Amino acid sequence: MAKLSAQQRHDLIEELPRLKRFCMSLTSDPSDADDLLQITVERLLEKGMPEDAHVAKWSHRVCRNLWIDEIRSRDVRSRYAQAEGAMEGVGTTSSNTDESVQLDRVSAAMERLPAEQRAALVQVAVEGCSYAEAAALLDVPIGTIMSRVARARKALAEDLEWSAEREA
Amino acid sequence: MTDDRQNVVDMAGTRVDDDHLLSMYIDNELDAERIIALVERLRAEPALSERLSAMECNDVALRTLYTQADQDIPEHLAAMVQADNVVVVSFAQRWQTWATATAAASCAAIIALVVNFNQSTDLNPMTMDTLLANSLETSRSSAAGWESLGDDRQFRSVLTFPAADGRWCREYLLAQEGSHWRGVACRDEGQWVNQVVGSEVFLEQETQYRPAGVDDSETVARFIDETATDVALGPQQEAALISSGW
Repeated sequence: MAKLSAQQRHDLIEELPRLKRFCMSLTSDPSDADDLLQITVERLLEKGMPEDAHVAKWSHRVCRNLWIDEIRSRDVRSRYAQAEGAMEGVGTTSSNTDESVQLDRVSAAMERLPAEQRAALVQVAVEGCSYAEAAALLDVPIGTIMSRVARARKALAEDLEWSAEREA
Repeated sequence: MTDDRQNVVDMAGTRVDDDHLLSMYIDNELDAERIIALVERLRAEPALSERLSAMECNDVALRTLYTQADQDIPEHLAAMVQADNVVVVSFAQRWQTWATATAAASCAAIIALVVNFNQSTDLNPMTMDTLLANSLETSRSSAAGWESLGDDRQFRSVLTFPAADGRWCREYLLAQEGSHWRGVACRDEGQWVNQVVGSEVFLEQETQYRPAGVDDSETVARFIDETATDVALGPQQEAALISSGW
């Protein structure tokens, strides 16, 4: 496969912030997200991509596949151990304001979502993708995106409602 | 919200509940006819309207959450992508051991990055040969000057520091003809092993060992920052360490 062209390298640099948020949506852990981003970039540089490849779609696909490989290789128990304290620094501010409390709740609720729902919701609600665009990026049917996003929103709403009631 | 009477069929013919409907409404994925129908229901059904508001608020929080998170892209990543000729010697070793690794152990993982800015390929900078290993074993660090390795290479040790995993590591410079390299090698069970090496461009002044802002020098510096547990050894400490055989 061809190495990255100058245009592809340029597009990839432009795509890096979004790719990092995607890593975050997959891993739900800042340090995991950093490592996933690093490995994704290395893989793209090492393997290249077809000349006509859409850089965003291709890079997201590589990233997602690498994460799937990693998940498969991890022991479930250690995964959950690692998840303790995950999202530290994300959505957490030192001030004890209502907003920061709410962000902490959202952060915790996002962690509890299945990764595929989290990824779909971030693509649509954060990145502003249409269902068709998210489906292309995540390589799933449009109906699956619709379903994952809706289930994610429903789970988030119920989780946050429950958290608020419990803390009231 | 779970009343089946409220179910509708989406554009793909799939039956969806109110939560799906609200979600599609938020995402502007409903056709005009269903938007009108839903808006009428929202006016008439406070519970449905509250549910929509809750979902929209959660979306706002979600966007805040992800945009306020540290989204800085490491500079070395952009530099890697920009470089014309990049040979990446896998970072994956860290990834594979990562599930059980402690933070300290991860610092000890090898990040071997070689960026060749169209320089001579005669020298493979990741190669650790006897001459280089001997100099790492015996030479004192200095801010200026070079020592010959006994072939056509010039060597200078820059500093010595302890790594988080207990190994001793040395930053060094290597020159061969027009090529210059900056690297870090660590002493692993009596053997010096290169951890990271990057091409280098030097400032005009012979005595200035810091590079002229080359991107992969930052990678070397970052590796040291992440790996070192303490400040570099002073001349006397380093001399004592060399004398003691490490």
